Amino acid sequence: MKKTSLAATILILFPALLAGQIRDDSLGFKAPREKMVSSQIRRRGISDKKVITAMSEVPRHRFVPKNLVSRAYADHPLPIGQGQTISQPYVVALMTESLGLKGYERILEIGTGSGYQAAILANISKDVYTIEIKKKLCDTASQTLRTMGYTDVKTRHGDGYFGWPDAAPFDCIMITAAIDHIPPPLLKQLKDGGRLILPLGNPFSYQNLSLITKHGTDYRVRQITGVLFVPMTGYALDQK
Amino acid sequence: MLGIKSGKQSNSIKSFKTQYSNTPLFQYPMIPAAVFLLSLSALAFEVLLARVFSISQWNHLSFMVISITLFGFAAGGTFLNIIDARINGWEKKLSSTGPVKILTVLYTVTAITSFIVLNRIPLDYFRLPLEPVQALYLLTAYLFLALPFFFTGLVVSLAYTSFPEKTGSVYFASMVGSACGAVLPALLLPFIDEGNLIIYTALIPLSAVIFRRSNFIEKHTSSKNIFSLNPLTLQLCSLGIVLAAAVLVMTNNDTLVHVNPSPYKALSQTLQFPRTRVVETVTGIRGRFDTVNSPYIRFAPGLSLKFTGRLPDQMVTYRDGDSPVFLYDPQPGSDESACRFTLYYSGYLLNPAPENILLIQQGGGSSIPCAKASGVGKITIIEQQPQIAHRVRRHYNIPVVNENPRAFLARSQRRYDIIHIENWGTSLPGAAALTQNYLFTTDSLSEYFSHLTGKGVLIISRKLLLPPSDSIRLWAGVYESLKSLGAENPEQHISVLRNWSHFTLIVSKQPLDNTVKLQNFAQRMNFDMVYMPGISRNMVNRFNIFDAPYHFLEIDRLANAYRSGTEKKYFETYPLDVSPQTDNRPFPYRFLKWTRLKALYKMTGSRFYSLFMSGELIVTVVFLEAFGISVLLLMLSFFTIPQNTRKFYFPQVLYFLSVGAGFMFVELFFIKEYIFVFGDPVISLTVVLAGILFFSGLGGYWSQRIRSKNLPYALAALISVLIFMCFAVNPILDRIQGFSTIFRYLLSLLLLIPPGFLMGLPFPLAMQHLLNFPSQRAYAWTANGCASVLASVASAQIALSFGISEILIGAISAYFLALAIGRFKLIGQK
Repeated sequence: MKKTSLAATILILFPALLAGQIRDDSLGFKAPREKMVSSQIRRRGISDKKVITAMSEVPRHRFVPKNLVSRAYADHPLPIGQGQTISQPYVVALMTESLGLKGYERILEIGTGSGYQAAILANISKDVYTIEIKKKLCDTASQTLRTMGYTDVKTRHGDGYFGWPDAAPFDCIMITAAIDHIPPPLLKQLKDGGRLILPLGNPFSYQNLSLITKHGTDYRVRQITGVLFVPMTGYALDQK
Repeated sequence: MLGIKSGKQSNSIKSFKTQYSNTPLFQYPMIPAAVFLLSLSALAFEVLLARVFSISQWNHLSFMVISITLFGFAAGGTFLNIIDARINGWEKKLSSTGPVKILTVLYTVTAITSFIVLNRIPLDYFRLPLEPVQALYLLTAYLFLALPFFFTGLVVSLAYTSFPEKTGSVYFASMVGSACGAVLPALLLPFIDEGNLIIYTALIPLSAVIFRRSNFIEKHTSSKNIFSLNPLTLQLCSLGIVLAAAVLVMTNNDTLVHVNPSPYKALSQTLQFPRTRVVETVTGIRGRFDTVNSPYIRFAPGLSLKFTGRLPDQMVTYRDGDSPVFLYDPQPGSDESACRFTLYYSGYLLNPAPENILLIQQGGGSSIPCAKASGVGKITIIEQQPQIAHRVRRHYNIPVVNENPRAFLARSQRRYDIIHIENWGTSLPGAAALTQNYLFTTDSLSEYFSHLTGKGVLIISRKLLLPPSDSIRLWAGVYESLKSLGAENPEQHISVLRNWSHFTLIVSKQPLDNTVKLQNFAQRMNFDMVYMPGISRNMVNRFNIFDAPYHFLEIDRLANAYRSGTEKKYFETYPLDVSPQTDNRPFPYRFLKWTRLKALYKMTGSRFYSLFMSGELIVTVVFLEAFGISVLLLMLSFFTIPQNTRKFYFPQVLYFLSVGAGFMFVELFFIKEYIFVFGDPVISLTVVLAGILFFSGLGGYWSQRIRSKNLPYALAALISVLIFMCFAVNPILDRIQGFSTIFRYLLSLLLLIPPGFLMGLPFPLAMQHLLNFPSQRAYAWTANGCASVLASVASAQIALSFGISEILIGAISAYFLALAIGRFKLIGQK
């Protein structure tokens, strides 16, 4: 009996411990992450507990190139190769919060990149789909997500322009790449009342977020200003 | 005074003059050949480096690196000053054939090596604030790129210092060589790509080493100096370099020689898509044009979210890896076509069934299918880039005018029902601040209006920027142009619509009495009105919602300011520079106000690197760097030369600083002015460099025939010509604009003759007659070089802040200072 219990304990606990170990990270990064959450996320007004928890738990440093690990929790985007970036932590948090997730939504992300945003979404909702058109980035991100235990995230190498018709409709769609128009197929795959969010501007400079809400055949686009800049009517005009 | 003139020095002056006054330059035949060939090769290298940076990075970053590397020229003079105190008779030893040949070989080796290092070094400007190692890469690139210019500067400086009586000839060889070097890339780039051409042009000076034989005197002097090498060894060495370069070129070594665009550029991004490839590459002095075929190209700026169809297939041509022009697969016009769901189609609603449309295209490409969808009778397309014009013509099988739009309009008497200007602008305000563009100046806008029929409509579509900047400037420009043409209520002619990312400005020749059509279209397409006659706050910001209707509020505020005559105050108090641009200050992407820099920094997240992409800030950084290096080069001689042997005088140094700055101010003035004539900065640069350098070379050659007392007269004549140019250039260029291309080139070159020729006099005359020692000449060369770089950077800021004509005031002031010094100080001392 003792042997059976021991075996059961090993069989159940060890993988759990291992998974926990994989998701967890060294203590060295915990403090910078906590600081990131308090100084960059909370202080700028992000208050959704699910978002705060996700940002506190997902080890961002695992998604950045090795030579930039020391800057993983700094207040700016980082290059991840192929001319792509991992967004500034605050932008990730704001985009996630803007979707108003409850936890049951089916979410489609266009542009997996490093996989960090998908991991944040997966921490909040179990039904996350992500598409990356660049093979190399897709492979690396899939591998990272798998290694870190985000096995529920469905990744695909392909053209995000046409969305993921087999899994449609989606409650939320997140576009993480700069575009000049919203792909009509994506709008079609959005549920009535669904939300689509995308950033505008240069990732290395200031960005504006736009949130599109579908109301039957009409759309409302709301500019979530203040991602990185204070509107002219705010700070700047007061300085006359 | 920077030095003292003792009795001992006076004796040494006499001795030096006796020794060198009758030294024939052609007794050392290697020198003039080396000066000519090295100047040619170095200038071609500089122009080609600008091309390389334009492809691999962005223009204003290339501006930074190349400006700094040009200090290599000046460093040549500093080096000679340093050895002056250590090696007796260095000028004779170094200017003999052996050392000059060695320096020539070193130039070729470093030019090729520096290019390969630059091409291979993992330098990433975006990582500069993040990775300390990037600073090391940048420094390495600087140092390597400076080396070939250093060796060129050393040889030219040696020629000036060693053969004072032949300064005019040296100047002639140097200037004419440089003029040839400026033209060479324009002639050869259509046949040879940038990387290979750098290798070829770097080999040119070696011809002097390989084919020129040494005579007895040269061998005699060479054998005694530190650079003594068997001539045969040098020739074999040179042949070895040629062979290695041939292997590099013939093996088509893409890794080392091929110039790849930055991974952040659109071409690199596109090529990562599956089944995507470059189907055609055309190189030229105007850029590298890569045409890409891919099923993933979809360009539809300003498309309504109500469009549910499929976009037509497209292909794209990139210029220098960016600035895409999209070509749509022709599809029959129908109500369902994507074009009818775009913001800019709203302009076509105001003039349905137009008979003729003028499309002025600078990037993009969506205006062509849009015009076709309107069912127009005749479309005239103007495309400045010949390569793009050819592609568009071939793709759509329609005639395309390949010309500068202003030149076309100046000549054309035709009126159009619609003029549609496609230029989407930058997504990052400030990134293209240095870009000179005449499309949206008040003068250009007036030209467009005068080419519209009675019911004509002007359509301009751009990216929507926040903080509002571009839209305000355009609105103001249109308002002022209409006002200047006699419109009673200019604001009654203008309307602006936007979606979430773009805006369209529509100007009707007739007042917009009925805007219902536009309002219905906006409602149907979920577009927002920004400005329209009779519009109120509750009609705006309905579909694409900002926290506040920022664009409406600002344009409304500006309209009120115009009505009450307080527009100047509006422009003064707005945090960005949004005042309308004129032909004298044509920088449509420049918004920075230095007095509000702190506010801008805060607005953009209080992060340094978000400002790093601002072209104007780069100018300041470059100026500060250049100033630091200039001080270092000029002071280095003082730290290394014992005080009692220094031979420099402050007025002398100031004279050469003034002449160097004046020359560069004039050069930059013409380069910037001629962009108006040729519509392309690269063509302007080539024409002005070739013209001014050649005519200055002639002036330098002629300087040998005139006496030193004529120096003030030469300077006075030059100043008179420049004052005349101050008033005459713009009217002359306006006239030239309407002439045919060949006449424009010819007349533009003719206009360069008087200032070019006269600018060739002050430097060689002063070198020859006003300086006494080789070290003084070397120092003068350094001062001249430093001032040139500083003036070139300063010109960029003067043009941005005050206007292009004001650069000439800088030149006139500099030459006035030189005249004052030449007249009252140096002549007296002599």
